[in-house]
Amino acid sequence: MAIKISRSFVMRKLHQLTGIVPLGAFFFVHLFTNSKAMSGASVFNDAVADIHHIPYLLFVEVFGIFLPLLFHSVYGVFISAEMRPNGVNYGYGRNWFYIFQRVTGVFLFFFLLFHILNFRFGMIPGLNLTPVAGNAELAFAIVQKEFQITWVFILYVLGVTATAWHLAYGFFLFAVDWGILIGERAQKMALYACVGLAFFLSAVGINAMVAFNKKCGLLPSALCEEAEKKGIAEPDGSRRF
Amino acid sequence: MNEANVEKKRLENPPQTVDFRISRREKLDAAQYTETFTVPYRRNLNVISALMEIRKNPVTKEGKQTTPPVWNMSCLEQVCGICTIVINGRVRQACSALVDDLLLASGGNTITLEPMSKFPNVRDLTVDRTAMFDYLKRTKVWIELDGTHDLGSGPRMSQETVQERYAYSRCMTCGCCLEACPQYFDDNYIGPQAIAQVRYQNMHPSGKMTRDARLEALMEEDGIQNCGNAQNCVQVCPMSIPLTRAIYETNREATIYGLFGWLRK
Repeated sequence: MAIKISRSFVMRKLHQLTGIVPLGAFFFVHLFTNSKAMSGASVFNDAVADIHHIPYLLFVEVFGIFLPLLFHSVYGVFISAEMRPNGVNYGYGRNWFYIFQRVTGVFLFFFLLFHILNFRFGMIPGLNLTPVAGNAELAFAIVQKEFQITWVFILYVLGVTATAWHLAYGFFLFAVDWGILIGERAQKMALYACVGLAFFLSAVGINAMVAFNKKCGLLPSALCEEAEKKGIAEPDGSRRF
Repeated sequence: MNEANVEKKRLENPPQTVDFRISRREKLDAAQYTETFTVPYRRNLNVISALMEIRKNPVTKEGKQTTPPVWNMSCLEQVCGICTIVINGRVRQACSALVDDLLLASGGNTITLEPMSKFPNVRDLTVDRTAMFDYLKRTKVWIELDGTHDLGSGPRMSQETVQERYAYSRCMTCGCCLEACPQYFDDNYIGPQAIAQVRYQNMHPSGKMTRDARLEALMEEDGIQNCGNAQNCVQVCPMSIPLTRAIYETNREATIYGLFGWLRK
């Protein structure tokens, strides 16, 4: 007997999976690269150049990021449109999380569109017009200049925080929807872990942003001394020996 | 079960009268409107007894003579589920909704009564919940035991299984879980009640024999995958059925069956 599986079953499972792999995994790599800005411009630019040297880069980018992202975000907007929110009358924590997952998702749809056009392609009129892709040596300077604009910086803080929460709670939802996490107590513990992860990812992401205009970000710069001693450039591009 | 021993809180200075804002509708698809009725307060008044009071003399607060509001009731002890309506924005059984509790919770003097919004509103406070029974038919929540010959005694169940199944057996198909579910409307999602009944039958040693057919019925377009994990269902369930547990246990079975089942072909 053939197994009957509906389209929506496959799509939902695929939606949940793409959120974790590759998108979730990519977000960790992304934050790791961003955090290299703490050690100054040349470390960061080298990291961007390293990405440029990934073999089969075009395929990795298209099949590893763009297509999964396109699917996850477009189908996610359709899922969000199904919502009949009732948080006012049924104000339980999980109900708000449910609403918030969809709100952050729709916000991220627009934020990521902006973010990709802004940095990857340099196509937002009035803002940065130099694509970071292909200009690794300018990467730090481009981001630095952009983050000096207050509203852009605030927008990115919101974007990073929303992504951190959407991903952290997404891990929870994945575990629940795939039947990994079942019991009430186990779910409670996992939820605490997800909240912790969300705070951690937001902090790392925001710190990396600050690092583009203040060495080592919000941490004392002594922690980033190592790179400086080796004669690697300062965030302002000057070299110190 | 300590609740039974706790003295229920009562209004210290009860009002002379209580206002009931009731959603009215002549018939299916007719326009909805509201009418307010004033009921004299008395101790231990609940929503059903207030509706009975209104029925005696259906005159609105403004003094307009009108038809008595229509509602459903049967057991009057929260086990049949038929009197389920939306009271002050929250779905629950009208028979067990004490006026004192409602006024204490809202701090006001008016109680709002509406029909459930997720089912066809037949008239006033009554709805047609046929959809719920159709889901039960579709998911085959029974145990196939056909034949006239003696099948002998059934297989034994562990005490844990018996207890968990007992919890699912308490479902009275009232519709609270579907009303509170933000994913349930029209044909979007089959909803927690049918999933819990599938779990109920799939846990039975004889019911297990037709498990796959039930899982497949739960994996159709409007199936279990459309659960959004808002978990309102388990919060509003008047019978304290572990609905989310049923969903997640079944998620595990459906995921394994749906995603990896073909690897066994």
